[in-house]
Amino acid sequence: MKKLLRTAFSTMAALLFVASATVVAQQSDFQIQQDFRAQYNEVVNQVDTAVSTDELVEVAAAIDALEAEYSEYSSIINAAIYPDTFSNRISDLRNRYAAGQANVSTIEQLNERIRDLMAEIDEFRDRVTQMDEEIADLKEQIDRSSANERRQAALIRQYRQNIEQRDEFVSNVLEQLMTRYQELDSATQAEIADAVERMSDNPIELLKTMLAEYTNLADQNSGLEAPDFVRMRAQHGYFADIWNRIGERLANTFAPDNPVEARQEVTDMLAAWQASVDNKLWNALTTAFNQNGIELPPFTSASTFNNALNSYVDNAMEVSMESNNEEDYEVFRNFSNYWNTTVKAQWGELLVNGNILSNSQIAAIDVKLTQWGEAAQPTSNLMFILFLISLAVIIGLVVLLVTKKS
Amino acid sequence: MAKPTITTLSLCVALLFGAAACGPSLVIQNVDYAQPLESVLSPDTENQVHDQRYAIKFNISGILQEEGVSSVDEIRLIRSRAGYYFVTASGFNNVYVFETDESELKLENKIEITANGLGQPAFNQRDSHIELVDLATGNTYNLDHNGLR
Repeated sequence: MKKLLRTAFSTMAALLFVASATVVAQQSDFQIQQDFRAQYNEVVNQVDTAVSTDELVEVAAAIDALEAEYSEYSSIINAAIYPDTFSNRISDLRNRYAAGQANVSTIEQLNERIRDLMAEIDEFRDRVTQMDEEIADLKEQIDRSSANERRQAALIRQYRQNIEQRDEFVSNVLEQLMTRYQELDSATQAEIADAVERMSDNPIELLKTMLAEYTNLADQNSGLEAPDFVRMRAQHGYFADIWNRIGERLANTFAPDNPVEARQEVTDMLAAWQASVDNKLWNALTTAFNQNGIELPPFTSASTFNNALNSYVDNAMEVSMESNNEEDYEVFRNFSNYWNTTVKAQWGELLVNGNILSNSQIAAIDVKLTQWGEAAQPTSNLMFILFLISLAVIIGLVVLLVTKKS
Repeated sequence: MAKPTITTLSLCVALLFGAAACGPSLVIQNVDYAQPLESVLSPDTENQVHDQRYAIKFNISGILQEEGVSSVDEIRLIRSRAGYYFVTASGFNNVYVFETDESELKLENKIEITANGLGQPAFNQRDSHIELVDLATGNTYNLDHNGLR
């Protein structure tokens, strides 16, 4: 209806213009051709810049009006624009209009795509914002409930669950982004890049928001423990992996003017997030091992953590090989139990995904643990006692035989 | 005495006619010099105007002097079917009609249009004449090289 009204209005305006022009009795042929040139250029500009069907409807009306207004002066115009002609100019406009229709169709398809994309990003952002608000609210409640330990513990549990849900949601978003942009062809990439200026939000901005909130979460002191920080490290590893795979495409598509800077910005934010996690992670791991009776040498990085584990096992194994007592065997059993039931069973995948320990490093500890177990086994005195008894029996029998003979 | 003189004169006349008969004699009739649209030309600092499209260049100082003005922003120029150039400008009282000669434009006629000066003059080529329109007043004048028709 709106389109019809616009068409009717444009046509009426054009007709009025023609009518008013013909009313003027005195005319200058020179001025007529000048006016034609000006109006022609205006219509050319209109058709070349039309980006919607509505604009094209106006262009069609303008071409019709131009033709109707100047066809009676075609001989004057032909003389003025020789070797071009009035009819050629009108044909040229109609050809441009046809090309414009094809362009507008492509543009409208692209606009539709951009609208869908923006709606999706808005949905993601709303959900992330909602989760961030819930987490912030829980953090506030935890801070306020320090007097009530049971309530605080329950809140921390809830806080941890919310962070895990957020991780899951972010992972899904990253998965979707990767599916969509990993195989993005350069033509589509260029089309979206052209439309980026019209987008109020884009995936890179969404990722930056997520990263800022992750860093904020890691910086807070909210009763989180080693497993939570290990999980954060794993989430960071996943995020960094996805960014390595699609970061270049995303930057070229959504920051076409400065893709290198955009990539660097996200990379810097990833590094800041990792630094915040690491700041808590190594202390939390030391505390967790200590609480289970395992005193590891100090460590402040993934490699020094691995060194600390190896050093602990090596030293303990050496001690066991020397003494073979029950106490040393208990040290082995304690470490082996914590290593197998907690470190490997509960954190194993997260440690690998978070680039804290590799599978081969875990396997190397396992091998050492087996050797340590064999070395730590306490040696039994039963055989020695049996040997002494046997020796005593033999001596006794010999003495008895000698006594009988004599 | 008189006879040889008459003979000599007769010979000279015969020679002259003979020479004239040997010169170019081809004349093309019904040439249409009509310039379909007037040219609107801006004079340079030397009062030279140059019509690139119709390939003519001349100085308008004489016309300005005749009209009693020191300068104009632009002049309007059109050539009639007969080949006469018509020149006027905003503020002029007259239209100047020139015929061409070897490197010359010779004033054929000076047609007085108004005593108050033309407002917005414009020439239009018409089948049998040149139409002068003053867009400021709406007045129209039909001209040929002889004057107002």
